[in-house]
Amino acid sequence: MATTTAAVTLTSDLLSDNMSVSASTTCMKAGTTADGLDQMEYVLVEIPTGDEYDLIATTPTASKGSKLYVKNHSTDETYYIAITQNSQAIGRLYAGDWMFIPADFHDAAGDIAITSVGGTNKIEYALFHEGTVLSAT
Amino acid sequence: MATTTATITIASTDLLSDELALTSTATLTLAGNSTGVTQASGLSRKTIVGDPAKPQIIYRAGDYTTGGANKVYIKNTSTTAAEFFTVQIDQEVVGRLYAGDWMFMPWIATSGTKETFIVSATGTVAAGDSWDFDGVTTVSADANLNNFAAAVNAKTYPNWTTTVSSAAVTFTARYAGAAGVVTGNTAITGDTVTDLADSNFTMPITSGAAGTRSESDISMLPSVVTAMTYETMLIHE
Repeated sequence: MATTTAAVTLTSDLLSDNMSVSASTTCMKAGTTADGLDQMEYVLVEIPTGDEYDLIATTPTASKGSKLYVKNHSTDETYYIAITQNSQAIGRLYAGDWMFIPADFHDAAGDIAITSVGGTNKIEYALFHEGTVLSAT
Repeated sequence: MATTTATITIASTDLLSDELALTSTATLTLAGNSTGVTQASGLSRKTIVGDPAKPQIIYRAGDYTTGGANKVYIKNTSTTAAEFFTVQIDQEVVGRLYAGDWMFMPWIATSGTKETFIVSATGTVAAGDSWDFDGVTTVSADANLNNFAAAVNAKTYPNWTTTVSSAAVTFTARYAGAAGVVTGNTAITGDTVTDLADSNFTMPITSGAAGTRSESDISMLPSVVTAMTYETMLIHE
């Protein structure tokens, strides 16, 4: 079994008391505690402004334990990528921002899509999953 | 300026032929500039016991800035493999948080519009006349319409906020949505006037606008009816 861990630390001096929140999870297949996710895609790509693009080329198996990491490597603070799923706006990743979410991929329309705004954004993403539905040629 | 950072580390020694060690730190700023985020709904922990078919809203878009650089952190604290939360934005399923899983995502917080209407104290009011709306009753202390409107405005309503101008009170829903209390200029649903002296005291609606629902409320659907606990934090503009 492959073991992949994802840890987050959030720190801030925004509040009266310094905040430090940490969490770590071992990325497991759906509904298990002993079988880790064992497949992944890892891509770095430049996205020009304008059109919306699907981030994932093939459709991972729906309702599984897939995890998606996306980072916007842009350094211009006015640049961002708009994230949507099945036409539902989720949020914006500004320069330097990252996200880590469970991804459902309930059907082909459930792909994660991104639109580059402000200029060309360089995007890094990693998808950890437990199988994909490949498109026939 | 406050500094808020989010660091992720993804590591594996056996997923690939070479070791995977990915680390990234983001300093969270307001949208489109380098000023640090200024507001946060601190870390909270909540246990849900209930119907797994009913998602529970954890953040309402109408309460936050649309299109900002908002970030949401959610963790499922369960240790039971079968217990997961399905995370949704509006009607769309984002994914499932299984036992121990966490997520950190940007949030667009697209709000709808809040229903609003104006009622005006009209006719001849007398001491003891009253108007009831949203479970709150206002009783007139004298025979002055403006004073009565001010008294209506001074009350606290569970689902509405108010402002007053002379004898007119503007009600605005606390949450965006098509509540159906008012559509255009039609009468308010559920208000009651008591006109003790039968002096034609009324509280007619003089204008209004229906609301629309928010399109990015975040909700959580537990997989089981037994108690499930999650932690959340929202960093927002």
